[in-house]
Amino acid sequence: MSCAHPPIVIINERKIAMTKYLLSRLVRGLCSILVVIAIVMVLIYSCLDKMMIFKLDSNWTKMKSNAKIAYQMQQWEKYGYLDYIPYSDWLKTLLKSGEIDQETYDRVVKFGDTELKDTPEVAQFMEKFKDYYESKGYKFERKAADKIKNKYKEGGSPIAYVYRNTPVWVRMWNYLGDLITIDNVNYVKDDIADRGLYLEMNDPAYGGEKFSPAIMGNGTRHKYLVYFDDQFPYFHQNLLQIRLGSSYTIRKDIDVFNIMTDTQGSFLNSTVTYPSGLVEQSADNLHSLTYVSGSFENGTVIIKDRYVDDYTNLSTYKNGMSRMGYSFVIGIISVIMAYILAIPLGTIMALKKDKFIDKLGTFYIVFIMAVPSLAYIFLFKAIGHRIGLPSTFDMENPTWMMYILPIISLALPSVASLMKWLRRYMIDQMNSDYVKFARAGGLSEGEIFTKHVLKNAIIPIVHGIPGSLLGAMTGAIITERVYVVPGVGNLLTTAINQYDNGVIVGMTLFYALLSVVSIILGDLLMSMLDPRISFTTKGRK
Amino acid sequence: MEEKLISLEELNMSEDELFARVDNDTLSSEKITAPRYSYWQSVFRVFFKKKINIVILILLAVIIAFTYVYPVVTGYDPDKDPYINVTDGTTKHLTPGKAFERFGFSLKWILGTGAAGQSTFDSIWYGSSISITLALICAAINMLVGVFVGAIWGFSKKVDIFMTEVYNIIANIPYILLISVIVLIMTASFWSMVFALTITGWLSIAYFIRTQVIIIRDREYNLASRCLGTPITRIATKNILPFMTSVIVTLAATEIPSYISYEVFLSYIGMGLKDMSLGKIIEAAQNAMQTPGWEFEFWSPVAIASIITVVLYVVGQNLGDASDPRTHM
Repeated sequence: MSCAHPPIVIINERKIAMTKYLLSRLVRGLCSILVVIAIVMVLIYSCLDKMMIFKLDSNWTKMKSNAKIAYQMQQWEKYGYLDYIPYSDWLKTLLKSGEIDQETYDRVVKFGDTELKDTPEVAQFMEKFKDYYESKGYKFERKAADKIKNKYKEGGSPIAYVYRNTPVWVRMWNYLGDLITIDNVNYVKDDIADRGLYLEMNDPAYGGEKFSPAIMGNGTRHKYLVYFDDQFPYFHQNLLQIRLGSSYTIRKDIDVFNIMTDTQGSFLNSTVTYPSGLVEQSADNLHSLTYVSGSFENGTVIIKDRYVDDYTNLSTYKNGMSRMGYSFVIGIISVIMAYILAIPLGTIMALKKDKFIDKLGTFYIVFIMAVPSLAYIFLFKAIGHRIGLPSTFDMENPTWMMYILPIISLALPSVASLMKWLRRYMIDQMNSDYVKFARAGGLSEGEIFTKHVLKNAIIPIVHGIPGSLLGAMTGAIITERVYVVPGVGNLLTTAINQYDNGVIVGMTLFYALLSVVSIILGDLLMSMLDPRISFTTKGRK
Repeated sequence: MEEKLISLEELNMSEDELFARVDNDTLSSEKITAPRYSYWQSVFRVFFKKKINIVILILLAVIIAFTYVYPVVTGYDPDKDPYINVTDGTTKHLTPGKAFERFGFSLKWILGTGAAGQSTFDSIWYGSSISITLALICAAINMLVGVFVGAIWGFSKKVDIFMTEVYNIIANIPYILLISVIVLIMTASFWSMVFALTITGWLSIAYFIRTQVIIIRDREYNLASRCLGTPITRIATKNILPFMTSVIVTLAATEIPSYISYEVFLSYIGMGLKDMSLGKIIEAAQNAMQTPGWEFEFWSPVAIASIITVVLYVVGQNLGDASDPRTHM
C-alpha cells in the first residue's frame, strides 16, 4: 500500500529525520552549555582570589581579628566556596537531635581562650568535633583569643570551626539540581500539621468573597500554587520554578531569574486581605508568599498582625516593568524597526549600485561599522537632547517619549549591518547565471527581482531573525547605561564589578541557552523557507 | 608633430640590404605573449587609481605621525605632566579659546585642557599610541593564529568535528566575563589585556576562514589539482591562500578598528586598561559630558578615536577590494 503514496512517505521520513537532527542538535547544545557553566565556575570560583569578594564589603573592612576570620568563612559559605561549620553550630545540631541536653550545651558552648584553658568536658567535645569532621574530609581550625591586658580586643574572642572547600563538580551538580524545582508538600522540613494541597474557590487574598479559584498548599514552599489575578496573563502558577542561582550583592538572596522578571519602581497599592483578616491598602503580593522557617514566631508586630503561620515572605507590586520587560520592549521594537528599514534600504542600494544613494548608504555603513559604538550612541543622545527628547529613563514618570532614543540607538546600528549584508547578497544574486537566463528568457526586471533575487537574498537574513528576537531579552550594555534604562543589559557587568558570583553564573546560563536556541531556530526557519536546505544527510551524498 | 616622409632612394642602399625575408618561426609562434602580470603591482595600481585612497593614505600618515612621533617629540608622559593637578583651578576644563588666552597659541592647547589641567591634545595622542599598538598586536596575533587554525579546520574533517564543538562552547562564554576574569587575575596591564583579547579572539576568525576554505576547497580547479597529485600543503599555499588574500585583508581591516572600539567599550564599562589609553580618556571625560560648557572635553577624544577607526577601516576595505584579482581587469 505504501507504494501508492510515495511522496507522503518521503515527506514523513524527511520530517522524522529532521526532528531527529534537531533533537541531536539540542542535546549537543545543552552539553556545550554544561561545559560553559563548568568553565565559568572554574574561572570565578577557582581562578579568582577568594578574598576578592570582600573588596566592596563595608562590613568586612570594619571587622577585626577573629571575628573577621569567622565573617570571611560565613561569606565564603554563602558564596558557595566552602562548607563551614562553627563549633557552636555543631553543638546546636547535637542539641536538636537530642544527643545532649540544654544544660550540657550551655556548659560546653563556651570554650577557653587557648586549648590549654579548656575544661576537660569542653576539650572532650572539641576533640569529638574535630575527629568527626576530619574523618569527613573537613579541616579543623582553632584561633586563640586575641587579647590585650586580659581583655579581648575588638572581635578577639576565640573561634573554632571546620571547613571543606567545595569542588567545582559538586557545586555544579547542586546548581543544576536546583535549576528547575517542582513545589511539593514535603518541601518544609519543620514539623507542621495538615500538609497538603487544597482548592479554594474564593481566593482569601481578595477577602474570600470574590469568585477566584486558587490551589493553595501547606508544607509547600509557596502558599499559592495556582491562582488568578488582574495582571497579564491573569493565570499564574508557582508550581514550577526556574532558579538560576541566588544573588549576593545586587539583590541579596533573590534568585537571578526573579531579579530579571520582578517589577521595579515605586509601590503599587491595592486592597489586600491578609491571612489574619486584616484589610489594608498595600503593595504586598500575597500570591507570592513563601515559607520561612520560624519567621512568625520570631517576627515583629507587623508580621504577627498580618499572618497566622510561617508563610510570611512575599514580593510587592510595583508600577514599573521588570528588567527583562524594559529590555525586551526596547529590544523588540528596535529589531522590528531595523528589519522594516533595512530591507527596503538594502534593496534600493543593490538596485542603484554605484549611484548616489548606494554611496550614501555605504558611507553610513562605514560610519556605523568603524566608529566605536559608544561614540555614535552619545551622538544620538546629544542630537536627541537637542531636539527635546528625554535622554534619560524615568521609571516614576513613564512617557512613551523616553523609549524613543534607546530604540533609535539600538535600531540604527543594526540597520547598517542588515543593509550591508542584504546589499551584498542581492548583488551576488543579480550577477548569477539564473538571473541572466531569466532576463534572456524575457522576464521583466520587476518580476526577476521580486520572484527570484529578493527571495534568494533574504534567506541568509532570515537566519538571524530568531537570534535578534531572543537577543532582545538580553538587553544592550552601552545603550542601557547611557540612557539609564533599568534593564538586563547591565546585570552581568554589574555582577562582575560587584563580585556577585551567583548572578554571573546565572546570566551565563541564560545567555548560553538563548544563543543555542536561537541558532537552532534560525536553521529551522531557514530550512522551512528554502526547501533546498536540508540538515539531514539523507539524499545528500 | 610634423610627419616626415623618407624616400628609400635617399638611403642609398640596395634592396638586399634593406629587406630580409623572415621565415615562419615555429618556436616563437609557440610562445604566448602577454603583458607581465605582477599581483602586488596590480593591487597597488588598482588601489591608487581611486583618488580618495590617496587622501585617506595621507590622513593615515598624519595619524601615524601624531600617534608615534608627536608624543616622542613632545616627550609627553601623563605621570610627569607639569600641568597636571596644579592647585590652580583656572587651568582646568578650558575650551581651546580660553586655553589659548591662558597659555598662548600652540598646537598643545588646540583642544583645550582636561579635568586635571592636562593638555587634551597631548593626552589623546599618547592614549592613541597605546590603543593603536594594542589593536595592532591583538589583530596580528589573532589573524596569524586564526588563519592558520582556520585553514587546518577547513581541510580536515576530523578537526572540523572537534573544533566545531569547541567553537560552540567558547562562543557561549560571555567575552566580557572572560576578559574581566583574566584582568582580575593578572592585573589590568597592557599585556594582560593583549592576552585577554587574544585567548579566544582568534576563534571567530578561524571559524570565518574555515567557512571560506570549505567553499573553495572543493572547487573544480582544486579537485583537478588533487587528481594530478598535488600535495595538500601545496594546494593550501598555492591554490587557496592566494584566493583568500582579499578576504584576509578585508578581515584584518575590520579587526584592527574593532579592537580600538572594543578597548573604548571595555574602559567605558570599567574593565579596561590602567594606562591612559583612548578608552580610559573617554571614560574619564564622561563626567565632563554632564556639565554644560565642558562637553568639548568628551567630544574631542571621541571624535579623534572615530577618525582613527574610520581611516583604518576605509584603508583596509579599499586595500581588500584592490587585492581581489577580479578587480585587476
